[in-house]
Amino acid sequence: MQMQLKNISKSKFDVQGEWLFREIAAEIRPNDRIALLGGSGQGKSTLLRILSLLEPFDHGTVLMDGRSSTEWMPQSWRKKVTYVAQKPIMRSGSIAFNLQTVSMLHGGPFEEELARRYMEAVELGRADWNKQAADLSGGEQQRLALVRSLMLRPEILLLDEITSSLDPGSKQAVEKLLLEWVSEATNGAARSYVWITHDLEQARAVSNQVWFMAEGCLLERTETAAFFQSPATEQARVFIRGIQEGKR
Amino acid sequence: MSNMALICTLCFVAVAAFISMRQKLGLEKEILIGTLRSAIQLLFIGYVLHFIFETSHPAFIVIIILCMILVAAWNAGAKARHVRGIRSRIAIALACTEGVTMAILLGLGIITPTPQYIIPVSGIIIGSSMIVCGLLLNHMKREMETARGEMEMLLALGASEKQAIHSSLRRSVRASMIPTIDGMKTVGLVQLPGMMTGMIVAGADPVEAVRYQILIMFVLASSAAMTAMVLSLISYKLWFTRDARLLPLLPAENQ
Repeated sequence: MQMQLKNISKSKFDVQGEWLFREIAAEIRPNDRIALLGGSGQGKSTLLRILSLLEPFDHGTVLMDGRSSTEWMPQSWRKKVTYVAQKPIMRSGSIAFNLQTVSMLHGGPFEEELARRYMEAVELGRADWNKQAADLSGGEQQRLALVRSLMLRPEILLLDEITSSLDPGSKQAVEKLLLEWVSEATNGAARSYVWITHDLEQARAVSNQVWFMAEGCLLERTETAAFFQSPATEQARVFIRGIQEGKR
Repeated sequence: MSNMALICTLCFVAVAAFISMRQKLGLEKEILIGTLRSAIQLLFIGYVLHFIFETSHPAFIVIIILCMILVAAWNAGAKARHVRGIRSRIAIALACTEGVTMAILLGLGIITPTPQYIIPVSGIIIGSSMIVCGLLLNHMKREMETARGEMEMLLALGASEKQAIHSSLRRSVRASMIPTIDGMKTVGLVQLPGMMTGMIVAGADPVEAVRYQILIMFVLASSAAMTAMVLSLISYKLWFTRDARLLPLLPAENQ
C-alpha cells in the first residue's frame, strides 16, 4: 500500500484567502513509520484528516496505489487508511460494544482473540468488558479507541497524538504495540503509520522518518536520525530547541 | 359572525399594540403587519374555499393541496437552508404523508370525498407535518454539532453515511414526534383543539365534535410518524458531501 500526496493545499477555515499549508508533496510507503512534527496550528491534524478523507482540501491530489482518492469509494479508502483522533469518542455502551464496532459495521465475525491480545498489549487486559466505556478514564478511553481502530486491520494508521493522556508506562505499551503492529502485515500487505506527536523522545523511538511542518509547508522530510542530529532548516532547529528547553 | 362583530375583534389587536407601546417593546409594526397579513390571507383562503366548494372540481382540490405542500416545504426548509435539496425532500415527505393518510381516510369511508372534508383535514395533516419536519431539522442541526465526533469516528472506521448518522437520526425522529404524542396525552384536559372548538361554536353536537377530534388526533400521530420516517430516510445523505464527509458546520450567525 503506497500513498502519494501531490501538492496538497488547504486554506484556513476562518480567514478567506490565507493558506493553512501549501503544496505538500510526500509519500507513505510500506513499512514507513513517520513522525509528523511541528508547532501547534500548523495543520498537522488537518493533514491527517485529509489523508483519511474526513476533511476537504483546496488543491492537489491524494493517490493510493496509483488511484486518486476521487476514484475510491470513501468507505473502502477509510478501511485501509484509518484515522485515530486525539480525543477518543466512545460509543454509548460497554467496552465490548465498542470493541465490536468494526464487526457490527462491516458484518464480519468479532475477532475476540485479537481484541484480547490488543487490550492486553495496551494494559487493559484486566478491564471488565461489561463496564460502560464512558466510565473509563481519559487515558483508558484513548487506548480503547486505538484498539477499536486496530480491529479494522487497516494498512495505514494515521495517529493524532494518541498518547497525550497516557502515563509513561501505558505510553510505552502503546508504542511497543504499534511497533509490533507495523512490522506485521494485513493480508500480505505491509503496514505503515503517520504519528503526530509533540514528544521528541517518542518520535525518536517510534519513527524511521520525520515530516516537519512549519510556515505552512512540509519543510523537512528526512530520516529520523538525520533530522535529530542535524536538522536542515533553522525552523526545525528552533522547534527542537524550544521543546528541549520547555522540558528542562 | 356579523361584519360588525368581525371588526370588533380588532380590539384584541389594539390590546397587544397598547401593551407593546406602553412597555416600549417596539412590536407595533410587527403586530400591524401580522394583523393585516392574517386578515388578508384568511379572507383570501375563505373566498378560495367558497369557490372550490361551489365548483367541487377535483383539480382545484389537488391544486390547493399542492400549494399547501409547497408553502409548508418552503417554510420548514428554512430551518436548514444550508442543506442543499432539503426543501424538495420535505415536499416529497409531506406529499407521501398526505397521499397515504387521505387514501386511508377516503378508502375506508372515514370522511366523505367532498372538498369540505378533504381540504380542512389536508390542511391539518400538512400543517402538523410541517412542524414535525421543522423539529426534525432543528434537532439534526444540533446533532451535527453535538454528535459530530461520534459520526466522524464511525466514518473513520469505514462506516457508510447511513451507519454514521443512524443514532443521530433516530434521536431526531424521536424528538420530532414527542410533541404530537404529548399532545395526545393532554388533549381535552389541558387544551381544547381548534377544530373541535370551531365545530362546537358553529353549533355542532359536542360529542360529534369530539368524534372528529379523535379522528384528527390519531391522524396527527400517524402523519407525524410517517413524515419523520420518510423525511429522515430520504434526506440523511444531504448532511454529507458527495464524498461521504459531514457537511461543514455553519458559523453561528448563519444557523
